[in-house]
Amino acid sequence: MIEVKDLVKAYSDTTVVNIPSLHIAAGETIGLVGNNGAGKTTLFRMLLDLVRPTKGAVTSKGIAVAHSDAWKHYTGSHLDESFLIDYLTPEEYFKFIGDLHGLSTGDIQERLQPFTDLFNGEILQQRKYIRDFSKGNQKKVGIAAAALSHPELLILDEPFANLDPSSQIRLKNLLRSLHEQYGMTMLISSHDLNHVTEVCKRIVILEKGQIVQDMQTTENTLQALEAYFTV
Amino acid sequence: MFGTLLNLQLKQARRSPAYQKSLVVNIILGFFIIYFALLFLSLGFFGHKILSEIYPDQSPLVSFNSFLLIYFLIDLVSRFMLQDLPVLAIQPYLHLPVKRNKLVHFVLLRSIPSVFNLLMLLVFVPFMFRAVVPEHGTGIALVWLTSLLLLTFINNFILIYFKRQLTSNPKLTLLLALAVGGLMLLDYLHVLSLRQFSVAAFGALLQQPWLVVVPLLGLIGVYLLNYRFLMQHLYPEEIYVKKVSAVEGNDMAFLNRFGDTGKLIALELKLIWRHKRPKSMVMISAFLLFYGLIFYTNKVYLEGWGMLIFVGIFVTGSPMFNYGQFVPAWQSAHYDALLTRPITTYQYVKAKYLMFIPSILLVTVLTLPYALFGSKVLLINLASCLFNMGVNSIVVLYFAALNKDRLDLSNGSAFNWQGVGASKFVMMLPMILGPVALFLPFSFMDIPQWGIFAIALAGALGLIFHRQLLQLMAKRLEERKYTLAAGFRQH
Repeated sequence: MIEVKDLVKAYSDTTVVNIPSLHIAAGETIGLVGNNGAGKTTLFRMLLDLVRPTKGAVTSKGIAVAHSDAWKHYTGSHLDESFLIDYLTPEEYFKFIGDLHGLSTGDIQERLQPFTDLFNGEILQQRKYIRDFSKGNQKKVGIAAAALSHPELLILDEPFANLDPSSQIRLKNLLRSLHEQYGMTMLISSHDLNHVTEVCKRIVILEKGQIVQDMQTTENTLQALEAYFTV
Repeated sequence: MFGTLLNLQLKQARRSPAYQKSLVVNIILGFFIIYFALLFLSLGFFGHKILSEIYPDQSPLVSFNSFLLIYFLIDLVSRFMLQDLPVLAIQPYLHLPVKRNKLVHFVLLRSIPSVFNLLMLLVFVPFMFRAVVPEHGTGIALVWLTSLLLLTFINNFILIYFKRQLTSNPKLTLLLALAVGGLMLLDYLHVLSLRQFSVAAFGALLQQPWLVVVPLLGLIGVYLLNYRFLMQHLYPEEIYVKKVSAVEGNDMAFLNRFGDTGKLIALELKLIWRHKRPKSMVMISAFLLFYGLIFYTNKVYLEGWGMLIFVGIFVTGSPMFNYGQFVPAWQSAHYDALLTRPITTYQYVKAKYLMFIPSILLVTVLTLPYALFGSKVLLINLASCLFNMGVNSIVVLYFAALNKDRLDLSNGSAFNWQGVGASKFVMMLPMILGPVALFLPFSFMDIPQWGIFAIALAGALGLIFHRQLLQLMAKRLEERKYTLAAGFRQH
């Protein structure tokens, strides 16, 4: 699905991302963990062609993301608030995104159905603009919009941050069921080692822009991660 | 304590991104400030001459006084539209051990040294020396000036009090504007003489200077009103005028016919309608429709061509210039969203184009009455309309690729220099000078009508080849997208 080759991003003399090779197969769920400044978000931005790599390239289904818009049709993403159009109501926003993917109003409603628990009655029919929602609820809107088109590839940056405990658990279940039902390839970064190991079958640790570990999730992964991050 | 607070405020102003602009912008800004300052000063210096020419049968001071009441009413209305509240500045101190009354006094007194309060001094002071001092002596002249200042401050505090009470409700502002306009109309129709009342009031002041206590008491009154209100409501949620009202989403179904481009236009119209800054920009554009009156009423300009071309371009293109100068920075807060969704840059550029064209057409239709000033004006404006649609719309999009500063949409646009860069001024040059340059050779050959025709032709060519031109602009924007996105992410 995604192929990263010799990817380097450097600002003047500091290298923030340096990944010789990373292969993501279709249907994989990958958790990206690492401390602040490890380069997770920059890597995501390069995957989404929002930052120009200093060297190397990212290809999606064999086509370089920088040279084509094709990936936009099968990739859903939510990194931060700048992915939201915050002066719309959530309904308008979902409609806008749905329209871009050729979904009818009925489709949108149906696809938002699984989000009912996560939304907890606080998102739809609130007669508020997205900018007036709390950070946590904005995040829910962003995640739902990213998943709305049932993309083949879903990229989420810190989806569990700012969510209350119940919402975190609901989101975890939701992501797992989206993966099972539609075989979505997922790329999720998180500081919550517990959740990310439960959702993802493969964990990649990033440190100072480099991949230091790449492992399949087993029952020992959580302990291994905790050991790794204990300094 | 006051000193510390003031010091922090100064730091805030100095370190704000808006202040740290490029040298070019500061120079141009400085030029504008000096220009307007000189304008007001000369108004003050020569005011008495102008007034005695217009109203030869009364002293210039009486004429001046007669307009003061109307002036203060207009001042109040314009404050409602332009002035903002400095109240939020004290929010970071509310939880600290600082006396509440000090904070309130600080925020109220801080509102006095502002452009709104001190600008008119540039007129009042020279006028006082030229017209009031010779007639009534220095002492009384100073009393006169003091009372004008006090009235200005009263307006300042009335605004602060009511703007907080009513929140910034545009309907009420409009109502107030209509009320003042109505009073002026009544005055004009001699039903109710505001001017006579004004003369009587300020005349009495000149005869009996102790009357200055009246505005003084008024000022103390509104100050205390504000002080008491703020002391009782010193909670961020109560002084913060933001009001979350229920909103209805809407669909703008008629734009669906244009496909994804139509969706982008609908999105943009909502952006304009739901943010303060673009909305006030639309208002300003509406006012600029009357810009032509300054020139068309003057014989000197009406006989020439060059100035009329400038006015024509400016008037028929004002909404496009106003809005277009910040494309795509209007969407800086969600630029990443647009880049990661299946929207091509061409669609994006085309959506802008399809917003510019109707705006130009609409303004051209609205300014058709200017034809009353002669068929020449009509001819020039129609040619300008074509030129704006065909050429300047593309120029705006060309310069759009340079807008990499994030734009804050929550503040009004008047006197708002946030996100204004040197490119804004540079882009105006080809758009205004271009048509004049096209016109000049024909003017030298003494066939000015052909020059106007050339301007129209350039516009028509631009319209015919708009697809190719838009593709070029899309390519340019595409090449710059990483720079733009990185710039917009910087808060």
